[in-house]
Amino acid sequence: MSGLIETLLWGVANGCIYILLATGLNIIFGVMKLVNFAHGQLLMIGAYVAFVATTALGLNAYLSILVAMAAMAVIGVALERLTFRRVLGTDKLNEIFVSLGLIYVFENAAVLLWGNKWKQIPNPLQGEGLVIGETLLGYDRLVAILIVAAILIALFILLKKTKIGLAMRATSQRSETSMLMGVNIEKVYVFTFALGAALAGAAGALYGILLPFEPGIGALPTIKAFAIIMLGGLGSIPGAVVGGLLYGIAETLAVYFLGGIWQDAIAFALLIIVLVIKPTGLFGEKGE
Amino acid sequence: MPEMFTQLLGSVEKELLEFRQSDKFYFVLGAVAIGLVIPFAASEYVVGEVLTPMIIFMIYASSWNLLAYSGQGSLGHAAFLGIGGFASALLAIKLGLPPVFGLLVGSLFSAGIGLLIGLVCVRLKAWFLAMVTFGFSVIIVTLISQFDSVIGGVMGFPTPLIIERGLPFYYLTFVLAAISIGVMYLLIKSKTGLAFRAIHENEPEAKMIGINIAKYKLLAFVLSTFFAGLAGGLFAQSIRYIQVSVFDPYYSFLPLMMAVIGGLRTIEGPLIGSVIIVTINSYLYKIDDVLQGLMGPLFPNVSNVGPPLRMLSLGLFLVLVVIFLPKGISSLLPKIREYFSEKPKKAKTHEGK
Repeated sequence: MSGLIETLLWGVANGCIYILLATGLNIIFGVMKLVNFAHGQLLMIGAYVAFVATTALGLNAYLSILVAMAAMAVIGVALERLTFRRVLGTDKLNEIFVSLGLIYVFENAAVLLWGNKWKQIPNPLQGEGLVIGETLLGYDRLVAILIVAAILIALFILLKKTKIGLAMRATSQRSETSMLMGVNIEKVYVFTFALGAALAGAAGALYGILLPFEPGIGALPTIKAFAIIMLGGLGSIPGAVVGGLLYGIAETLAVYFLGGIWQDAIAFALLIIVLVIKPTGLFGEKGE
Repeated sequence: MPEMFTQLLGSVEKELLEFRQSDKFYFVLGAVAIGLVIPFAASEYVVGEVLTPMIIFMIYASSWNLLAYSGQGSLGHAAFLGIGGFASALLAIKLGLPPVFGLLVGSLFSAGIGLLIGLVCVRLKAWFLAMVTFGFSVIIVTLISQFDSVIGGVMGFPTPLIIERGLPFYYLTFVLAAISIGVMYLLIKSKTGLAFRAIHENEPEAKMIGINIAKYKLLAFVLSTFFAGLAGGLFAQSIRYIQVSVFDPYYSFLPLMMAVIGGLRTIEGPLIGSVIIVTINSYLYKIDDVLQGLMGPLFPNVSNVGPPLRMLSLGLFLVLVVIFLPKGISSLLPKIREYFSEKPKKAKTHEGK
């Protein structure tokens, strides 16, 4: 029983990382109608940036999250300007091809810079936790959940209360009309992509604090984030939160009851079943 | 179905006549001649490790491209490469079928699975489809690992031989590739191909003029997975040993890269892409030592900078091609031809005056 509760906590914490990643993807998709398959590689780079910030610069592990977010926002601006802007509005498949190329670029750049050994961000809370009976609730995972909640609340305020948030929401509904209303769409696109990348950076730093990582870890989180978006419905942030929690729990339960090799397959089985029944996702209104 | 077949035969005849008269005919004739003669000029190693895989990947990349013609894309084509490989090898080993027969049945089996997956996929668009196909390739790996006691795929096993390795296998592959690519060419030029292209260009309009979208998308999926399975059967033979690693996403992205770099939705694109990428993979490692000498000190965390640098360049190459040459390298061919035939053309217009 205590094993099950610990497993559930791990599931929720993993789910929170996926929620951040999925929300970033979701915002980029909602505003730009762009699908970035290299989003998980941004998470991976974020983890390495946080790792460098903690080991080389001696920052606290949790402060390094901010460094990772800032670094990924800068990389996000560069990516949008140099690659995605040039293929937006052409064949939809071109975006997929560009992001596949970027996957190779990021993964191998990480191998070159940091090698391909497994690493983990040293964390002051590691191994400590709340002991209830025989159950150990790790502080690192509890804090991760709180951090994700704080980031999501900040994001919500940004989207609902600020001018740029309004511009983003307008663009996501009708880009041409909002252009006529005086919204500088190109700026909104750059900001959106940078925001999505920063969320991926935060997800990466948290990933690196909770789990060991290497340059190849990005691919599966991307797929899982997609599964979550599809479960929760495209463009819906609350949907992504529900989807992410469900997903994280389902995944760890699958490992707990069925064994490690089922971890990834269960996710896809779930995704495919949902898509067969409802091709636009559980809460999605209208797929493109 | 039968009316589609007669349609196909009718257009085949017309297409062949047209093809015979165009100057493309001599180009193809030249390419086939090179393909037939080149093994004699190459060493045994080059025939086995470079030329044969190149031809096999031509089939594989063309099969991916066929799917792209109908506006669909797959990120999990390795599933069919692997199914074709495993099925043909297992049929030969466990049931004692002759390997040639196993190759055919393996491809049909791959197409059967393709039909089932296609039934799920016809309703899905762009990235949904990409995700689901990727998902299927992950699920298939899990299933093969789960039933490892029957299949033995985790450790892998040697594949049975159809024909002696080296030149005989090369020519077998060559003939099968020529047939497959010829069939795909005729299909694309037929009314079926026209329907594929109509669906890709504008699905609602295609539906409006009475094209049965689901039928044609499914047809594209099944045919594509058939040829991917065939490529898989041959691939398993050429690498001598089959293992679950054949389902690696790398093999799903490879045909995509070949088709896109060569030229998406052209017949020659995947062939050009296959030549380029297989050549890069087979020969570029030779400059690894030089690279290590030059760049090694910059990146102390890796023992050999060659492989990651090569992969990084490949990714960059793909991005650059998509951005600056969206129709792929094959879009340069007409320009090259124009350049060489400029003088005769000028002479002609002169005569006309």
